[in-house]
Amino acid sequence: MTAVQPTAMMSGRYQRAFTAAVVFLVAGWHLAGAGGQLLQNRSAYSSFAFQCAMWLVMALAITAGSVLVLRGAPGWLPAWAVAVFALAASTAAAAASPAGHMLAVNWAWGSAGWTGVLVLLRRRFAGLACFLAAEALAILGVQVRDGLHRSDLAGFLAVLAWSTIAQMAVAVGVRALDGAAGQAAAAAQSEHAARERATISESIQAARRARWLALQEGAVPLVAELASGTADPGDAQVRIRCAVQAARLRRLLAEGDELPGSLLHELHASADVAERRGVAVEIETAGPLPQMPGQARRVITDAAIAILTAAHSQARITLATVAAGTAVSFVADTGAAVLLPDASEGVAVEQQQDGGMLWAEARWSSQ
Amino acid sequence: MEQPVTVAVIEDHPVVTEGVASWIRSDPGQRVRLVQTARDLTGLGTMAWQPTDVVILDLELSGELVTTQIPALVAAGYRVVAFSGHSDPAIVLETLDNGAHAYVSKEEGRDHLVEAVLAAAADRPYVTRSQARAILADQRPARPTLSEQERQALLLWFQGMSKASVGLRMSISENTVRQYISRVRAKYAATGRTAPSKDALLARAIEDGVIKPGEINPYKSLARAAADRPRLGAQDR
Repeated sequence: MTAVQPTAMMSGRYQRAFTAAVVFLVAGWHLAGAGGQLLQNRSAYSSFAFQCAMWLVMALAITAGSVLVLRGAPGWLPAWAVAVFALAASTAAAAASPAGHMLAVNWAWGSAGWTGVLVLLRRRFAGLACFLAAEALAILGVQVRDGLHRSDLAGFLAVLAWSTIAQMAVAVGVRALDGAAGQAAAAAQSEHAARERATISESIQAARRARWLALQEGAVPLVAELASGTADPGDAQVRIRCAVQAARLRRLLAEGDELPGSLLHELHASADVAERRGVAVEIETAGPLPQMPGQARRVITDAAIAILTAAHSQARITLATVAAGTAVSFVADTGAAVLLPDASEGVAVEQQQDGGMLWAEARWSSQ
Repeated sequence: MEQPVTVAVIEDHPVVTEGVASWIRSDPGQRVRLVQTARDLTGLGTMAWQPTDVVILDLELSGELVTTQIPALVAAGYRVVAFSGHSDPAIVLETLDNGAHAYVSKEEGRDHLVEAVLAAAADRPYVTRSQARAILADQRPARPTLSEQERQALLLWFQGMSKASVGLRMSISENTVRQYISRVRAKYAATGRTAPSKDALLARAIEDGVIKPGEINPYKSLARAAADRPRLGAQDR
């Protein structure tokens, strides 16, 4: 199953892409648009050096603003500080332009507006509107100081109209894209959740089918034989088969409950039938036990069932942490060796008979 | 015929005291004599006790754990065998660290309590399966380092094999199995807080040839212990 990113993380990634696009737009505008205009009109300014200095100040504001927004949503104070800085540079550049044809040679209005868009993009819309209005008022103020003509006013309104429309359009567009990114991410997330539910339900179905098959192999034929009379409950062999199947049924039920310490839980379940038969079973653990895969647990509980079924009166089961794994051991008065499962699933099984006592160890190695 | 070992039982449940008394009575050799019973530790300093070699101490008296009282009992010259329903490894290790000679869980009492008392009276180690379990589970940084053979013998003993079977499994004599397990206990007597009972256990172990003075490292720095940790796992293989 692939790891899925939370909705917020996915839509955050889209938003960063939109922010980067705005950074490129603003930097491009300042370099090509404003910079080109500055160079083209260099002879018209009373001090070209001062205009260049203001252009650099504006570039600094744009750089600072870009760093802020690329690092995440900036706080109101740094965002507004950059915006006000840009506004001041723009106003100073305008004020130092030759009276009468200031608008014709002004490079700074656009740059300051775009800087405002950059840093105020994801703040309240009214904030950006106020900033753009303040900037327009500052330019108008400079014009009024220089003596406002009708033709100047027309030019002012024209520049105001196109720049504000372009800047507002970008701001609105990015917000719409942010919203769409959130929805797309949420949709992807819910689709993944649906897929995950389907996978889980499939694996539950598979587990149920495996349990049903396990019963078909062992318990069902035995019950059928008992019912038809071909198996005699008075026969010791039949009673042993019944005890084994009863223990496996208990284990099947225990395997359904996924608990921390599943192995211990399943061993207790496996011991239950033997205890009812009058075998005293003690189970002890030494040290914290690592989680063990279900297939390995099954090999160990199979060994437990075989030994507990053969035990006459007492059995001791211990679980101990050993190098890179767990040693599960059994000591029981079986009287004879017991047929134990072969080594598999990382579990090695050994046994030793001493007098009537059997010692067996199932050692699971996690490597 | 040797003098019987004198023993006191400090236990708040009379029925348990009665059970301990019956185990002592049914010892075929009558090697232990019960001289005193008490339900708590208050009378210990004031009452004129008969000379007592070993105190069988229930670790929980009237709902309170009394493991911290063990050093006082040991300082007063008693050998302590803890007899408790608390088999939590941390409590067992604390009990040993505080200077008890042995720990016997309530389930092990019938088979092991009298033997543990006799071993304690002679300052000899007695390691029950519950004590082995606590030592196997010991994760403290300053725990003693066990050899691979010692750890394997202890593990098989904890698992429930007789010492003869452990010997068979490890292809060593039963006596060597006892030696390994006793050596583990002696190493625990050499670590942690100091107590006269631990010194006595250790001196006897050296005298009996269970452990050589060179095998004891009473002090191990934390850094050294940390460096040892991965090796401990490797010893199980």
